[in-house]
Amino acid sequence: MKYIVTLLALLICGGLALYPVVFLVTESFNVGDPGQFPPALLGLGNYTDLYDDARILGNTALVACLATIMAVLFGFTLAWILTRTAIPGRFMLERLLELPYYMTPLVGALAWGVLAGPKTGLINQLWQLLGGTDLLDIYTAYGIAWVMALFEGTVAFVMISAAMKSMDPALEESSRVLGAGKLHTALRITLPMVAPGIVSATIFVFAEMLGSFAAAFVLGIPGRFYVVTTAIWEATLSYPPEYGRAAAMGLSLFLVMLVMLSLSRLVLRRGNYATITGKAFRPRALEVGRLRWLLLAVCWAYVGLSVVLPLGALLLTSFQRFATVIMSQSIFTLANYESALQMGALGSALENSLLLGFIVATIAVPLVSVLVWMIYRSNMPGGRLIESIVMFPQAVPRLVFGLGLLWAWLYIPIPIYGTLWLLGIAYLTVFLPLGMRTMAGVVLQVDRGLEECARVCGASWLHQMRTVTMPLLRPGMVAAWLLIFIAGVRELGVSVFLMGPNAKVIAPSIVNSWLSSSSELSAAMALLQTVTVFIAVALLFAVARSVARGIALRGGEPL
Amino acid sequence: MIQSVTRKLAAVSIAAAITLLTSQAGTAASCASPKQMDGFKTCADVAKAEQEGTFVLYTTDPEAGTAKLMAAFNQVFPKIKTSFVRLQAGALYAKLMAERQAKSFLVDAMQISDLGFVLDLQKRNGYMSYVSPEMAAYKPEYKSKPEGYWTWGTIIMAGIAYNPKTVPAAEAPKSWKDVLDPKWAGQVSVKVSNSGLEHETWYELKRLYGDDYFKKLGELKPRAFDSYVQQYDRMVNGQDKIIHTAQYSGYLEFKAKGAPVEFVYPADGLPAGPETWGLIAEAPHPAAAQLFLDWFLSVRGQKAIGEALYLNSARGDAPPPPGGVSVEKLKLLFPTDWADFISTRPAFAKMWDRMVGLK
Repeated sequence: MKYIVTLLALLICGGLALYPVVFLVTESFNVGDPGQFPPALLGLGNYTDLYDDARILGNTALVACLATIMAVLFGFTLAWILTRTAIPGRFMLERLLELPYYMTPLVGALAWGVLAGPKTGLINQLWQLLGGTDLLDIYTAYGIAWVMALFEGTVAFVMISAAMKSMDPALEESSRVLGAGKLHTALRITLPMVAPGIVSATIFVFAEMLGSFAAAFVLGIPGRFYVVTTAIWEATLSYPPEYGRAAAMGLSLFLVMLVMLSLSRLVLRRGNYATITGKAFRPRALEVGRLRWLLLAVCWAYVGLSVVLPLGALLLTSFQRFATVIMSQSIFTLANYESALQMGALGSALENSLLLGFIVATIAVPLVSVLVWMIYRSNMPGGRLIESIVMFPQAVPRLVFGLGLLWAWLYIPIPIYGTLWLLGIAYLTVFLPLGMRTMAGVVLQVDRGLEECARVCGASWLHQMRTVTMPLLRPGMVAAWLLIFIAGVRELGVSVFLMGPNAKVIAPSIVNSWLSSSSELSAAMALLQTVTVFIAVALLFAVARSVARGIALRGGEPL
Repeated sequence: MIQSVTRKLAAVSIAAAITLLTSQAGTAASCASPKQMDGFKTCADVAKAEQEGTFVLYTTDPEAGTAKLMAAFNQVFPKIKTSFVRLQAGALYAKLMAERQAKSFLVDAMQISDLGFVLDLQKRNGYMSYVSPEMAAYKPEYKSKPEGYWTWGTIIMAGIAYNPKTVPAAEAPKSWKDVLDPKWAGQVSVKVSNSGLEHETWYELKRLYGDDYFKKLGELKPRAFDSYVQQYDRMVNGQDKIIHTAQYSGYLEFKAKGAPVEFVYPADGLPAGPETWGLIAEAPHPAAAQLFLDWFLSVRGQKAIGEALYLNSARGDAPPPPGGVSVEKLKLLFPTDWADFISTRPAFAKMWDRMVGLK
């Protein structure tokens, strides 16, 4: 039975993740006509040509490292403040801190271009009024990393928060009782105990940053600073298209990720990170005295930089007849919203994105939960192999993986090309790693002893899963669902090549608008998308709460 | 290795171009008795087109403008639902090629701004042959040989643009060579090498001024962008002062919005290129596609695209876009030898990518 289950998991995961990679690997050796598939002429030329792209690879590594450090630092600090300390308005702040993740990555890049562009960025203009020269230049490696960390690094906060919420506060209390200070406790107790969440988040965020496109696209090109994804973008758009070079560049990142994954496995296997044990606990926040005002200020500063300022900048742009940061030449209008709403494509694209996000998240979470359990908990054979296969798409930039998916599904005699079905399959494939990382961090924190107790007390496997395991995993599952839903709504990379005339999604539509129509129209579209996502998430939370209340009234367990 | 591949592809393209462009110019006739519609003639079966009920376009033109163009057609034929995919030329053509190889036929018509792709698709028998009655109004050199595969719909051209609030008119460049003044270092924008118009500009200015022109331009460290929208955005905001290869339709669009932009028409001429339209072989909605092409190529359709996208018509009797001048009044620089032009693509891309810091 074990072998059948393993084989089934391998078939599903392999079909989703490996099949497109086979096409990518083949194309990376194509040194003949790039339009011919399968290739007629094979060679190593695309890989040897990578030597010429050393500068671009170096730029990519620099930006990804800077952004990951910033994102994990922000994520850990904010997660600790909001889950472990008693500061006022925690629930609201938590929701606010998740907001950057709801926005399409392009939003942050466009907004920070307006705020901190050299010479005329709003912050620089303000600084010049105070007598200074240029204060900030967002079109640099640091600027790109900053925007990536703020808008694509929010996932680190969500993942680390999920791990911290599952941690028994008694451990921290013991530390305090034994005389350790708050900072000492945070660094020596909290940090090591949430290590799985942090390691998972770091690896995941690093992979995201390596494959990140929007910030490097909007902010890198004006500064003549190219990374792998922007070079791939140009390579796939060139004539003749340099698919081989793009595939080779994309797959080269895979090697880096392979090393990172191996390291993470090593770290996670060496320690025992179970913090949810048989001992009952109620999550309690630390009293931090007057320090809470400082911590509160840190949270609000982050909200200001990642939500208020960018949305304000976009709001301003969306009401302008032509996008300008020079206020004296601004002409205000509602025309951009009229145009955006009149474009039928925007409505259907947004609808499609919401639908895809909802369905893909709903399918992915149970699938990932089973896979994570198989890999980290069961003694089933092939667990490592399944994990490696599922993580494949994470290690390849989405833009390139999208090409692999295009070739892979075009040649299957099932007519799903150009439909939402293909986009759904593509999203499921590329978001499995996100679900996997989120759930893995949580699963590792659940002590096996709890399940063993249930079994010893006579519970069947199903009963044990329903009454012990699933309730313990629920915060992680909710976080994973939300992450995948949002990631689906704002997905850009794989959608670019897979959209059909009647299967459009929102993020590429906004990019297209920015590329070809106007910044002010794009700002209006991005804001409409952001508001719609906010409303959708608020509704989902409301529904979830009402369902939980219903269960509680019927005597069941609340969510 | 890439160079050898591109050389091979260029050789194939040149051969195709020579064959297609030097073959006898057969002026094919449209159907015997075209039907007169409101403002245009058609050979399409209108009832069948309405029964098909759908028309799908692949285009490189801006999304918002294309939506307006589709809405204008939809107003005339409300029973035909329109949809489109907008991508840049390379990605659009690659998508079409991949679909055709997999025998997945979704698209009815394509507009693409790079003649290299057009000739390649014709060589691959990718165009449907349909001689629209409206094609008679277009110059023979603007149409495929034999007629019926593709037609230049609109013409895009490039000059120099500047922001009068940051550059006084007296100091603004008057000619292409004025842009090379070292005072513009770090303040000039161009488009990326994927742009067909950029290739045409390079080809024509190199012919006029020699290789030295682009060597000097490279010394100014120009920044390259995917689209004219970003070029004009940055110039309006004072981040760049000059747009080299400023798209004329972009200038008209920004001027209409009230942005501070001025356009310079260099006396030596404006490099120009076509936006080419054609119906796709195995189009899933052939009658609707033919009806659209007839409408689009008519004065009515050309007026609609001028209003939607500020593009100049290739049709002599169509009005210029709002605020613009007719192409007949401008000195345009088209490559005279398209085969030679296409053959220079790899050399251009290599030089241009280096100039803008991509390689």
